[in-house]
Amino acid sequence: MSDHSHRPSRRQLLFGGLAAACAALLPRRARAFGEPSRLSFALLRHGGRWDVRPEGLPRLSWEVSRRTSIDTSPQVRPLGPADPELFRHPFAVLSSDQAVPMPSEAELAGLRRYLTYGGFLLVDDASATPRGPFENSARALLAAVLPGAQLKAIPREHVLYKSFYLLDAPVGRAAVAPELFGIELGGRLAVVLCGNDLLGALARDPFGSWEFDAAPGGEPQRERAIRLGVNLVMYSMCLDYKEDQVHIPFIMKRRRI
Amino acid sequence: MNGPAYNAWRLTALTSLPAWALVAVGLLLLGALFLTTRGISGEPSRGKRALLTTLRAAACLLVFALVLEPGLELRAETRVRARIALLLDTSKSMRFAAAPAASKGAAPLSRTDEMLRWFASQEPELRALASRFQIDIYGFDKELQPQDAQKLGALAADKSANHTARTDAFASGGSTDLLGGLEAASRAGSGGRPLAGLLLASDGADNAALAEGMNKGAQEQLAHLGAPVFALPIGGAAQKDLSIDRVRVDDFAFVRSPVKLTVRISARGFSRQTVPLTLRREGQIVAAQNVVLDGKSPFTEAELSFIPDRTGKFAFTVSAPVYEGEAIVENNARSFVLNVIRDRVRVLQVVGRPSWDERFLRQLLKKDPNVDLISFFILRTPGDDSHSTQDELSLIPFPTNEIFNEQLRTFDLVIFQNFNHRPYRMSQYLDGIAAYIRDGGAFAMIGGEQSFGAGDYAGSPIEEILPVALPSPADPHVDEQPAQLQLTDAGKRHPVTELLPGAAQNAALWAGLPKLPGLNTIASVRPGAQVLLQSTDGRPVLAVGDAGQGRSLALLTDSSWMWSFVAAGEELGPRAYESFWHAAIRWLVRDPALTPMRLQSERASYEPGEPIQLDAQVRGSDYGASAGAQLSVQLFSGAGGAMQPFAGPTAGADGSATVQIPALPAGAYRAQVIARTPAGAVAGEAEEAFVVAPAGAELEDLSPRPELLEALAKATGGKRISASDSLSSLPFHDPERVEVGQRTTRPLWDTWMVLAALCAVVGAEWLLRRRWGYA
Repeated sequence: MSDHSHRPSRRQLLFGGLAAACAALLPRRARAFGEPSRLSFALLRHGGRWDVRPEGLPRLSWEVSRRTSIDTSPQVRPLGPADPELFRHPFAVLSSDQAVPMPSEAELAGLRRYLTYGGFLLVDDASATPRGPFENSARALLAAVLPGAQLKAIPREHVLYKSFYLLDAPVGRAAVAPELFGIELGGRLAVVLCGNDLLGALARDPFGSWEFDAAPGGEPQRERAIRLGVNLVMYSMCLDYKEDQVHIPFIMKRRRI
Repeated sequence: MNGPAYNAWRLTALTSLPAWALVAVGLLLLGALFLTTRGISGEPSRGKRALLTTLRAAACLLVFALVLEPGLELRAETRVRARIALLLDTSKSMRFAAAPAASKGAAPLSRTDEMLRWFASQEPELRALASRFQIDIYGFDKELQPQDAQKLGALAADKSANHTARTDAFASGGSTDLLGGLEAASRAGSGGRPLAGLLLASDGADNAALAEGMNKGAQEQLAHLGAPVFALPIGGAAQKDLSIDRVRVDDFAFVRSPVKLTVRISARGFSRQTVPLTLRREGQIVAAQNVVLDGKSPFTEAELSFIPDRTGKFAFTVSAPVYEGEAIVENNARSFVLNVIRDRVRVLQVVGRPSWDERFLRQLLKKDPNVDLISFFILRTPGDDSHSTQDELSLIPFPTNEIFNEQLRTFDLVIFQNFNHRPYRMSQYLDGIAAYIRDGGAFAMIGGEQSFGAGDYAGSPIEEILPVALPSPADPHVDEQPAQLQLTDAGKRHPVTELLPGAAQNAALWAGLPKLPGLNTIASVRPGAQVLLQSTDGRPVLAVGDAGQGRSLALLTDSSWMWSFVAAGEELGPRAYESFWHAAIRWLVRDPALTPMRLQSERASYEPGEPIQLDAQVRGSDYGASAGAQLSVQLFSGAGGAMQPFAGPTAGADGSATVQIPALPAGAYRAQVIARTPAGAVAGEAEEAFVVAPAGAELEDLSPRPELLEALAKATGGKRISASDSLSSLPFHDPERVEVGQRTTRPLWDTWMVLAALCAVVGAEWLLRRRWGYA
């Protein structure tokens, strides 16, 4: 016995066929070459609390994608410093609100190779405590990874402060550290140490609102923290592009905030 | 025996006694004579006394003569004539005009002709001199060579069509050494004849010791010659002549950088005036300069400069106009070859969005001292919301007109990296970009999700110059299957994919690189282009090809950065990425070291009249030897531009061929050789430049210097003569010398007459003494 309600009507078939034909004729929107071609952060695993701001990096990913032409992926890959997979993520983050235990020799060697061959590391102090346990342990770790390299204050004229936004001061959730510190390898900043809990400004709570208040500047300060995050990503991808001669007259003319 | 004719005689003493013995004997005899005189002093008769003394004296003399052993020496004497050396200048400067042409269109008389005519006219004078002197005729330039008078006479009288060729063969010396020639002539000569004098016919254009004029050392040497020099200046008084003596320029220059040349002009017979100098490259004027002659000093220096806009080897000519009455026309221009190379490769990198692929390429190119990188990255697209005002951003507008229209031709290589042109209204520039590449530019397209087919290039002029054809809009533009690399056969030969020297190691290195996460798709590979890398399942990854005079490269992935960073993580190191891009850039900009076809001139400079030889090595653009390729040759001259093309040889089995070009007039030339396969397609192309110029200092300063010849003559005690002077009346030294050939002696004393005379005299004296009472 035939059941007319199950068989598609002629009209439905026609519409379905037309829709399928249209879909076939429409130019296939170019899709990315998959995850490896998009910016995707690596989060360094260490012996202490290594994932204290789980929503920070995905939010930074989203902000970069929204504000710039960079194609990002919200996936964050937690990886050990000695893992060869780390090399598929040239932007890595090391963060904690406590002291970071010193990694093993193999991990130090892996991190050293990562940074020397082109990797970028953002070290973010989630505790926002200058000269606190995190900062001291981070400085010791960096000294072990790159002996002989100096962690120096990054001057305001550095291209990092104009790689996308024109910025004046580094802020995060807090504004306690007036300077960013960095290590340069071959003229390129390979490590940036931020003492103001940058990821804390980007973290959202499960209800969708901001997890932390930005103090003392409030929402304008949060905006500036987001901009610093964007600049860091843009710098890691464009390096000293904004210092090419052609840009300088334009940058000089504009005011900075 | 009949000996040689003895024509002179003299008396001689044949004794072997030493001088003191002869003196002693003489004294004894004198003593005997004295005693006799005393012995007969009492004799009253003077006559008797005289007779006895005479007899005694005669006896003493005869004894002395016997002791001396007189003899007769017979000699065959010849009178030796002094010699005169006649020196004729055979250096190359003698080929040039002695005086400006008598009328317009007529060929001027060459200095050699003037000298030979003088020689022929002086024949009767020389014959007159030959009776008194030995005449030796020499030609000299940097050395002395004997000449035959008959041949010179014949050359002087020769009126045939190739008279100029014959006189040029006569005047072929590379330099002029007056002092050396005179000294050699004074020492030469058979049998040590004394030198009576030297006759010198020359234009005086010395380039040895007397190049700068007479000096003290030369004067001393001339004084030591010991004979006067009579100098005949050929070429008359200093005539009007403008010449470009020297052009100083580096062998090579950088493209787009100013090149400076220093030109030395010599002008004789010119008053104060302005002379325009022009510099031409293959017929086109590239620089001009007015030079002021001050009318006092003969030499002036000028500087010309220009900026080469293309790389390659070029033929240049510096020239000045020819003025009325100039003696020599050929020296108003001078040619040279200049090799223009690039100093840094100017690369334009246009990126659709920042990415790791862009970042590692930028870092590599920025670090390379041979690359001048200009980047433009699109940091924000219209869909992005920066949440700020424009002033808070460091972004600048994308200057499409400036880079793709105004400045495009200043770049050596243009790279589009994951860049879709449509949002930037660039369709108007795509034609210009394609034309720039066909004219000799270089282009590379790097893949990504908005590149190749997804970059809206299908059907555009850019697609025509790519080595691949793009898929139609309906087909997928990307293929997300991971791709493991594999070197193709073409890739095994090509310099772009040569990371390591050994074929097996090279292939293994490529195969060991990290997998690519996906590839751009193409419709097909263009005919003539080559795929160098593919995935193991046959999808192309890297294709290269020629586009007109330019080259293009298609890299169908956005993850070549993994060959650097991920490879470093896998302990392979970043070298594969760096080597690949270095080789790719050099190949794209036609670095001469990577050119498939080579053309090399046997020499940088050829003499006029010499055939020119260029060695060619023909390899196709796939770097395989092109056996049987037919070569065609196009020449460009420095002054006139393109010349008639002609067919060249066919390449042998190993791709080598030799291009022979018949002798060309003086100047600079560029040869462009195109090799075609038997089917007619172009296999390769190369160029080489060379100069045809008489080499050597002899032709730098051609002016006659009669004042030098006059000073030279005076220093030796001679004088300057003119063509009409009679040679036989010149005051030559005439030290006649006698030379003795054969001689023989005949003794006189051993004939019986002498002994008989002695006996008679002694006997007579003894008789008379007895008669007259002296015992």
